[in-house]
Amino acid sequence: MSAEEHSSGGGTVEYIQHHLTNLCVGDCDPVTHKAVGFWALHVDTLFFSVMLGMVIILTSWRLGRSLSLDAPSGFQNFVESIIEFVQGQVKDTFPGHNPIIAPLALTIFVWVWLMNFMDLIPVDLLPLLAGAVGVNHLKAVPTTDLNTTMAMSLTVFGLILFYNIKIKGPVGYMKVFLFHPFGKFFIPVNIVMTLIEELAKPLSLGLRLFGNLFAGELVFLLIALIGGTLVVGALGYLFWFPLQVVLDLGWLIFHLLVITLQAFIFMVLTLVYLGMAHVEDH
Amino acid sequence: MIGVGTILTSMIVAGFLLGYAVDSWLDSRPIFMLVFAGLGAVGGFLKVYKLLSRDI
Repeated sequence: MSAEEHSSGGGTVEYIQHHLTNLCVGDCDPVTHKAVGFWALHVDTLFFSVMLGMVIILTSWRLGRSLSLDAPSGFQNFVESIIEFVQGQVKDTFPGHNPIIAPLALTIFVWVWLMNFMDLIPVDLLPLLAGAVGVNHLKAVPTTDLNTTMAMSLTVFGLILFYNIKIKGPVGYMKVFLFHPFGKFFIPVNIVMTLIEELAKPLSLGLRLFGNLFAGELVFLLIALIGGTLVVGALGYLFWFPLQVVLDLGWLIFHLLVITLQAFIFMVLTLVYLGMAHVEDH
Repeated sequence: MIGVGTILTSMIVAGFLLGYAVDSWLDSRPIFMLVFAGLGAVGGFLKVYKLLSRDI
């Protein structure tokens, strides 16, 4: 009867929800595994983001010891091309002089790209491996967790505030709030408008990255479901499985562009916002 | 510029959030929420217009 249909439909939803649930430790709901309090830690997000950060540090440390001027290795050339690319972006978009900006941009670009890249690992592989050692929930892509993206964008927001106050001075920064869009006769409106504008910066940074990667992950999950739920009988595999492979490959290649673009946008917008903070006069 | 689309949306959302905060402070929902969202939309359109006309 419909019990079977229901269970297969429920299985689909359950599959997706299971894959989109973080491994929550602390103030978590025991049934849904969603955070209910402040001290709810998404251990998988923390683990993978810190691990990828360590990968960057270790790789650059090892590369730094074996740098060669005369005969650079292929990997050194590759890293140099990334650094030159980021350096070019900083020179193009950043007006002031600040030695922190270029390393910050490079870190954001590489780190966000690596975290996004976790999306291209087959969706079932890491949860399956984790399940084998007794971990029930695992979301491997740190940037599909709103906590990661908002943490990064709020850090950038903190830097924006810091440099605004440092370069323009507290009074100069206040003046931006008072007189910015409409001149001195609309001071209350100006305050609200500038507040909204400033608040929109971290929001757009964090939500854009999260939204794009979350949607990408969801599409991967849906493609993975083709072979799982639509197949009826052994013959079904002959049709559905090749379709799944083709779709997955297509989306993977497209997604490779998306993750690079998103990492790039995050970096460029950080540069633009910090550049706006470094401009003395409006 | 790349981020034009999201600037508009996020400014409206930021307006909503700010209005929501002011409302729960003054206990006057939904006045400020709507007004600030409207302001956010106006500011967003202005911003987009400025960004798009600057590069030409």
